[in-house]
Amino acid sequence: MPVWLDDFLWTYQNVVYALGVNGLLALSMYVVLSVGQLSLGQAAFMGLGAYSSALLTVKLHLPFAIVLPASTIAPLLFALAIGTPTLRLSGVYLAIATIGLGEVLRALYINIDFVGGALGISGIPERAGLVSIYGLLILALLGFWLVGRSAIGRAMEAMREDDVAAATMGVNVARYRLGALLTSAVLAGLAGALSAHISSFIGPNEYGFEPAVTILSYALLGGIGSPFAPVIGAWILTLLPEMLRGFADLRLVFNGVIIVLAVLYLPNGILPWAMRRRAA
Amino acid sequence: MILLQTSALTMRFAGLVAVDAVDLAVDAGSIHALIGPNGAGKTTMFNLISGLLPPTSGAISLDGADITALPAYARAGRGMARSFQNIRIFASMTVLENVLTGLHASIAPGLAAILLRLPRFRRQEIDAVSRARAALDLVGLATRAGDRAAALAYGDQRRLEIARAIAGNPRLLLLDEPAAGMNPAESSALADLIRRIRDAGTTVLLVEHDMGFVMRLADRVTVLNFGRRIADGAPADIRRDPTVITAYLGAKVAARLNAA
Ligand SMILES: Nc1ncnc2c1ncn2[C@@H]1O[C@H](COP(=O)(O)OP(=O)(O)OP(=O)(O)O)[C@@H](O)[C@H]1O
Ligand SMILES: [Mg+2]
Repeated sequence: MPVWLDDFLWTYQNVVYALGVNGLLALSMYVVLSVGQLSLGQAAFMGLGAYSSALLTVKLHLPFAIVLPASTIAPLLFALAIGTPTLRLSGVYLAIATIGLGEVLRALYINIDFVGGALGISGIPERAGLVSIYGLLILALLGFWLVGRSAIGRAMEAMREDDVAAATMGVNVARYRLGALLTSAVLAGLAGALSAHISSFIGPNEYGFEPAVTILSYALLGGIGSPFAPVIGAWILTLLPEMLRGFADLRLVFNGVIIVLAVLYLPNGILPWAMRRRAA
Repeated sequence: MILLQTSALTMRFAGLVAVDAVDLAVDAGSIHALIGPNGAGKTTMFNLISGLLPPTSGAISLDGADITALPAYARAGRGMARSFQNIRIFASMTVLENVLTGLHASIAPGLAAILLRLPRFRRQEIDAVSRARAALDLVGLATRAGDRAAALAYGDQRRLEIARAIAGNPRLLLLDEPAAGMNPAESSALADLIRRIRDAGTTVLLVEHDMGFVMRLADRVTVLNFGRRIADGAPADIRRDPTVITAYLGAKVAARLNAA
């Protein structure tokens, strides 16, 4: 690694890592929104990934190469349990079913001593880094780009516009919705595991409603025209508070204002351009 | 040979029987019209046949197989396609993409082929685009392929819906008031198009209020009134059937016809 990059990383490491992790979280929101559903459980899925991976590392001393993929299991199971009954119904049900998930899990974390109770888990070794974070982000972007420019991408956009018409075209709407939710749980779980393994400490209060709204605001600001849009949205919302350090207390207000402005004035986000989908 | 059959098909909404024990048999290769006054239950029949509504009772079979419990997407997979009375195109997608979406049931490259861009994926996409263009050509929208669907005029949006429905060469095509809002020239072009679709091997079941259109086009006509089947037969017979005249044109007109 060149010296300047090393210096740069040393100074801005936290921000650089946060950009990558939040990019993954933005994509976990994107995939659900892109099939016309709304989930408010992204932070909860992230917390499940963070807690399960931290436990595997701290208690079982498993290598990170096993911990990272294993961190997707708990979010997957929760997504399956929530998605199966709700995704056959219309869009609002998933939002309602996920809205309380983060708060319920928070209460659980606090009350289970094995997972550290109110103190959370500390002493997590720093195992994640540039390669794992940005490698996964790039893989996820590439995957969404390739899927977006295919019959599946067309079906997803069609469902988002009119799920009834899409179904009469042969689109198995419930299956796509579940697939999107599971993908989103995997990405959020990975983001949680990565963030747990860069910060050495995780606590029960980090994955409640507030971060869920922040993750939603990434995608609302960036838009969902292409997978790059929500990532750019996440980067803006990650960098702005860094530059406006003095206003840290106003962070939630700031996110709230962005959501309101984005919904009112930028219904397609700041990057509204859709992917061009032309056959080879 | 009967392609589509409904037996005692019934749909009860709260306090209203929209479709009441309807038996319908559509012959393969025919153009079959389903007519009736407003609120007779025609669109509800279409929703039952295409799987958007679960019937209260009764059965639906396609080509001899019971499909009553199949979800809508699976019926599309078995060769059923439809248009909607109130147009339901994908407004923000291009005209070509709309039609490509209509080919969804016949494109199944699989996730691995998509992610790895296997030859199978490319072949299917190229094939799909040429089929979609052929469908657009057939309805006369070939030059609009790259436009956003929302930018099309009303009549063109109706044609786009038909192109989207026929792109996958369905066995059964359901058209809900395809001529609505069209002028005589447009609707006669539409009648030609429907004949061509039938001649290419697709059985057509259509709902239409324009009697001239129905009588010229249909091989067979089924008449609904208040959810019940009140007549079924060749267009010439239906036209003379007094129950149909009474129901369809109203008792006043029937009296006037009798007096004449
Ligand atoms: N989802 C529903 N819930 C309750 N009632 C319904 C529903 N769909 C249709 N109906 C009622 O069922 C009856 C039949 O409606 P339908 O739309 O099938 O009639 P139609 O023959 O297509 O009429 P039109 O010629 O006006 O299109 C009407 O009285 C309508 O109000
Ligand atoms: Mg109708």
